[in-house]
Amino acid sequence: MSRPVSFREAVTLVARREFGQRIRERSFFISLLITLGIIAVVVLLPRFSDFGSDSYDVALVGDSSALEEAVSRQASVADVEVSFRSVSDADEAERAVRDGDIDAYVDGDSVVVDQSLDSSLRAVLENAYSQVEGARALESAGIDPAEVSAALTSATLETVTLDPDADERETRGAIAFFGTIVLFGQLITYSMWVAMGVVEEKSSRVVEVILATIPARALLAGKIIGIGLLGLVQLALIGGLGLVLASALGALELSGPMITPVLTALAWFVLGFAAYASLSAAAAARISRQEDLQNVTTPVNTLMMVSYFGAFYVFLNQDSPVAGVLSIAPPFSALIMPLRMARGDAAGWEIALALALMVALIGVLVVLAARIYEGAVLRMGAKVSMKDAWAARRRVSP
Amino acid sequence: MLELDRLSRRYGDVVALDDLSFAVRPGQMYGFVGTNGAGKTTAMRIVLGVLEPHSGEVRWNEAPLNQDIRREFGYMPEERGLYPKMQVHEHLVYLARLHGVSGITATKAASDLLEALALSERASDRIESLSLGNQQRVQLAAALVHEPTVMVLDEPFSGLDPMGVDSMAAVLRARVDAGAAVVFSSHQLELVERLCDAVGIIRAGRLVADGTVDELRGTGAPRYRLDVGAPPGWTASLADAVPGLSVVEDGGRTALVELPPSADDQALLDAARALGTVHQFTPVRPTLAELFRSVVAEPAGAERAGAEKAGAEKAEAA
Repeated sequence: MSRPVSFREAVTLVARREFGQRIRERSFFISLLITLGIIAVVVLLPRFSDFGSDSYDVALVGDSSALEEAVSRQASVADVEVSFRSVSDADEAERAVRDGDIDAYVDGDSVVVDQSLDSSLRAVLENAYSQVEGARALESAGIDPAEVSAALTSATLETVTLDPDADERETRGAIAFFGTIVLFGQLITYSMWVAMGVVEEKSSRVVEVILATIPARALLAGKIIGIGLLGLVQLALIGGLGLVLASALGALELSGPMITPVLTALAWFVLGFAAYASLSAAAAARISRQEDLQNVTTPVNTLMMVSYFGAFYVFLNQDSPVAGVLSIAPPFSALIMPLRMARGDAAGWEIALALALMVALIGVLVVLAARIYEGAVLRMGAKVSMKDAWAARRRVSP
Repeated sequence: MLELDRLSRRYGDVVALDDLSFAVRPGQMYGFVGTNGAGKTTAMRIVLGVLEPHSGEVRWNEAPLNQDIRREFGYMPEERGLYPKMQVHEHLVYLARLHGVSGITATKAASDLLEALALSERASDRIESLSLGNQQRVQLAAALVHEPTVMVLDEPFSGLDPMGVDSMAAVLRARVDAGAAVVFSSHQLELVERLCDAVGIIRAGRLVADGTVDELRGTGAPRYRLDVGAPPGWTASLADAVPGLSVVEDGGRTALVELPPSADDQALLDAARALGTVHQFTPVRPTLAELFRSVVAEPAGAERAGAEKAGAEKAEAA
């Protein structure tokens, strides 16, 4: 009733189990929700701190249509929001200012405020007032009001930006930096899951039952692929929902250049995870109890922490030569290159070199990790030394 | 036929298996008994390829074992092991599929097995929520779910209540009757005697007895229980009358005596009748437990080597 199971089928079965079991665990959704919550807070914070600074309520006393029009025009030039409140007389306007219903009112040649006049509102009102008064003076000197108005409105300064993409680049850099934090969290969490999964199999002895049916390498590969896929799915959800959330809250505009850093981060997650998960699995195979896990995975975690702090350094010192080196040298590149790529700082050859080196490192690590894993995973009890694990590789059955 | 051929295995300087050989036929239930640390677990782990022998090999139908042949094997390790967080039925299906069983067949086989082991109600519970006895039944189911042709079970009955033993034994018996070969180790010798078609006794890594239960029980020196209507002390007269006779138990009227293998039991009966009325004259065959004790009793030197090995094996397995 059974037929031979190919290596690939064995890997697929193991990977499917790992993915299916873990996606059902509550911790998967909890960590997803927490990360999205953090994104929402990060997106919303600047809006809360700015609140009210660029929107004003103003009343104009008396006949004021010319002034109102001029204020509106100035407000749009200065990128502030001014709304008008109609009042019947100066007394009512004064009450409104005292009660804080409006920020200021203009009566004749004076502007009345409760305590102080905000500088941007002052600039808007002053410019508008002098424009209106200037036009009136010119009119009374006999110049056609239409010409005056045309001359005044056309005389605006146009801003020429030498680096028109700077804003967008900054935004992408910020997304990528935040992405680095999330990426680091994913790498460390999911590598830890691999390590914990390996030890769970050893401590529960199920590994003996499994390895009586499939090769150790199939179990290792399936575990890393299954857990890695889950990490990738979660990261894609975080990236996608994060972008949607940020654009819904108005922090950024959802467009191709904004999505690219997220895709880059996903690709680098795959590479980084392959390296760190192999190391974690090999480390975990040497022990038989969860309590010893911290002990053997410390070197791997330290490596990740160093990359993480490297990413901070690079974010703050984008032009330093160290940034260039760190973004190319594996395994640091997994966290740092996405950052530089998002800002457009990395040259094509740098990206290509970083990719090539990372893939080469993964190739070496996978071979080493598989051998250590095979040599250690069936040896219960005390921690297996690296040397023993290396030498004691179980002969592969023909 | 499953053949273990001259298997040897050392742990460091300690010899765990020393030229161990035996064979199990399809349709045969083979009991594997021995003291703690005698090498049973080592031998079983080698059969399943979880451990490599230092010399010797294991064959199935003349062919040396490989991963593909082992796919047809079922294994219940001494240290029970399943994923604690997986559901019972799901876990069985997963293991069957690793053995190459199709999804539909695996689902049905798992359901049937749970039914046979009275675990259907727990099918969607997590393994960790089951009692130890039930976990053990699931462990057996895990070894059987892909309908293996060979089953290697390390202490399958330890820790089970009598009902558990019966249901497990029935399931195993059904598989054996369907043509499977089963090897299991146990310390419950009455159970082995009752269930097994053949028994192997291992001592210090070597097989010291191998055969059907009847054969083994027949190999010892013949013993007889006698009830003679004569005054106490008649056993001494009997021993004088029959050359080579030894008195194992003397209970006044009744006694248990042992004859040398070649002696004539009719001569014994005649000698007894000469002493008084013979109320009982019964051949007594040793139980497996008695046989086991006599076979594993060994010189002190060998005992110590065995004990050291026991320590080494436990250290490896711990």
